[in-house]
Amino acid sequence: MDRVRLSIEGRAIEAPAASSILQACVLAGQTLVEGVGCMGQGVCGSCRVMVRRAGGREVRTQLACETPIEEGMQVAFVDYFSESVRHVYRIEDLGDSWDALRRVGEVFPEAAHCRHCGGCDTACPKGLEVQKGVNLAVDGELSAASRVFDECVMCNLCTLACPEHIRPNHLGLFVRRMIAAHTLRPSDLMRRLAEIESGEMTIVLDAPGARPPG
Amino acid sequence: MPGGIPYEQARARYRAGADLPLPAAPTPVAELLKAHHPDHGPNAHVPLAVGVNRGDPCQPEIARQLQANALIDDVDIAGVEMHTTDVLVIGGGGAGCAAALTAAAQGAQVILATKLRLGDSNTVMAEGGIQAAVGADDSLQLHFEDTLRAGHFRAEPELVAQMVRDGPDVIRWLIRLGMSFDLEDDRPIGGKLLRKKPGGASAARILSYRDYTGLEMMRVLREAVDLEPGVAVWNRCPVVELLSDERGRCAGAVIYNLEWRCFVLVRARAVILATGGAGRLHLNRFPTSNHYGATADGLVLAYRSGARLRELDSFQYHPTGIAYPSHLAGGLVSEAARSAGARLINGHGERFIDELQPRDVVASAILRECAEGRGIERAGQLGVFLDTPSLELAQPGILAKRLVTLRHLAHKCGHDAAEEPFLVTPTLHYQNGGVAIDKDGASGVAGLFCVGEASGGLHGRNRLMGNALLDILSMGRRAGAKAAQSAGSWISGRAGIGHVHAWQRELTLAGLPLHVKAPLLFPSYAHFDLRADAGLRAGTPARTIGGVR
Repeated sequence: MDRVRLSIEGRAIEAPAASSILQACVLAGQTLVEGVGCMGQGVCGSCRVMVRRAGGREVRTQLACETPIEEGMQVAFVDYFSESVRHVYRIEDLGDSWDALRRVGEVFPEAAHCRHCGGCDTACPKGLEVQKGVNLAVDGELSAASRVFDECVMCNLCTLACPEHIRPNHLGLFVRRMIAAHTLRPSDLMRRLAEIESGEMTIVLDAPGARPPG
Repeated sequence: MPGGIPYEQARARYRAGADLPLPAAPTPVAELLKAHHPDHGPNAHVPLAVGVNRGDPCQPEIARQLQANALIDDVDIAGVEMHTTDVLVIGGGGAGCAAALTAAAQGAQVILATKLRLGDSNTVMAEGGIQAAVGADDSLQLHFEDTLRAGHFRAEPELVAQMVRDGPDVIRWLIRLGMSFDLEDDRPIGGKLLRKKPGGASAARILSYRDYTGLEMMRVLREAVDLEPGVAVWNRCPVVELLSDERGRCAGAVIYNLEWRCFVLVRARAVILATGGAGRLHLNRFPTSNHYGATADGLVLAYRSGARLRELDSFQYHPTGIAYPSHLAGGLVSEAARSAGARLINGHGERFIDELQPRDVVASAILRECAEGRGIERAGQLGVFLDTPSLELAQPGILAKRLVTLRHLAHKCGHDAAEEPFLVTPTLHYQNGGVAIDKDGASGVAGLFCVGEASGGLHGRNRLMGNALLDILSMGRRAGAKAAQSAGSWISGRAGIGHVHAWQRELTLAGLPLHVKAPLLFPSYAHFDLRADAGLRAGTPARTIGGVR
């Protein structure tokens, strides 16, 4: 199989073509104990890397488990971080849903300061229209905003990129959580809960179907 | 492995939308499992030589881990930093988060330590959904009996009944935290939840969010934990040993901080192990769908401290792991595909199993096709077709709307799911057994709880799709609540690794080597050596990607 040469964390390595960046790390014998999680599915958002391709000047942020290696590629992992300032809320304490718009502004006051620089859009490895999502949330278009963040994996790259400290992915999740917590009341679930809580529906432990046949 | 039918030949035979009957006389299930499931066969298990389960059959690689020596000894933890808390939760997946949130809500002080980063777990990777019997045509009784039957009547009926009864309340709890679910129509109030039928169930009972239910669940739980002042999250802090007091009670844990490269002791009134499964041990040399940290850590530590384990010779191989291309091997095509009607087709262009049978049966049937020369071979990889093109023909738009992840995955494999079938083969997916627990998640060791995949008894010898997400939340919440009751209680004056010394004597008496050490913490290919990393071994300093600060 063809071999590809690239640099990861400043170290020159070689790995089989068609490997992802994470697989290349491992196959080249590098120690890999952070910046890794689901290892290929692209859902945990842990393996954030900055990538520069041969001959190019642009540095892109991507997920290492989903990005195939290329000859001459340069890769640096982006460490996770924990911020000292947070947008703190308790979903249970959001109160009256008539206050939803006000709550967005209270919990995420920076969202209204968006400079439209597009940094979040460039940073998103999933190609989501992050900035549009932020603007929609500020405008009160909460359903539309929530749809923008539907496939967000919470890698926090937009949060790192935002010069106004908006933390767009957390804003998106806030809106999505608020909508579900305030509006989702399925009739079949409510009925079954009532049946269980009233004692009307129970389980018979020794029913014939609970024993091996014969 | 014998060869199969060349891909080109099989592909030429394949027709999307073709009417294919099921085999007229299917092999009886017991016979099929015995002949082809990896849990069976002459080398499938060995008797354990030490510990509470001495004499019980165990998968050989798991036995090697269980019968190993500790990673540390007294001298390594002399004088290290110590913390005290009410509840120590080990593991940052769905079970750990549910336990931490519940314990904190009851006023307990909680530390949640996780090996990778909060949320890095099998939970976030779950696609299909979560079971809860909410349909008018469904009942708790049906869910209860389906679960027992799929597990070959080896699960604990009382635990199963409790989990099933918790189902609807778990869904309400998730909605309260802000998790979304798919609906039949767009009526959030008074509408109905969209339900899908899992393989082996008698009613449609899978509730989902698109085909990334676990991601939706995990991002909500992770945010809730992160914003909860009562929970301190310790990322990159694997547990390397448990602490015990002079009466054998669990008294906390020894944690290794990967960032600072040092050990830390946590004394706790209750410890909740939520460390997940063992897929990254690649049992029986299978690829795995599991996340990077699934190395059976909790199982090893619980056993060494005296907890009883169960069904250690039983693992789930998910029928539809990617076979080709090889660099994606082990990755999962969600059961949502078969649940929606996708068929499995062998190299002769035939269906060979009812695709909606339980996972162990379908996986065994695929392994049989491959073993008997009816598999499809492509670039050295052997598998069978998962027929997504016919699914799209029958239900136009389903790939774009409901099977988003599947479509992305096909793209990564280099094909269009609406045009080309996937080449799939079973992948190591789930640990059916684990630490034996009671209805509160308490293990046989006082002060030690265990929840989620690391625990056993809820799924017998085979788990139904969607019961894992239910298990972790049902038991996670229960263990969290019970453990929180210890808040403020008396804490043992002694905490050490006395149980390790007793264990070493047992190993020596059984003639087992002391140089084999566990838990593994990371897969073998992570190239991680704890003792080198901690500076306890002479030699070159360890290297850590992204750790250059």
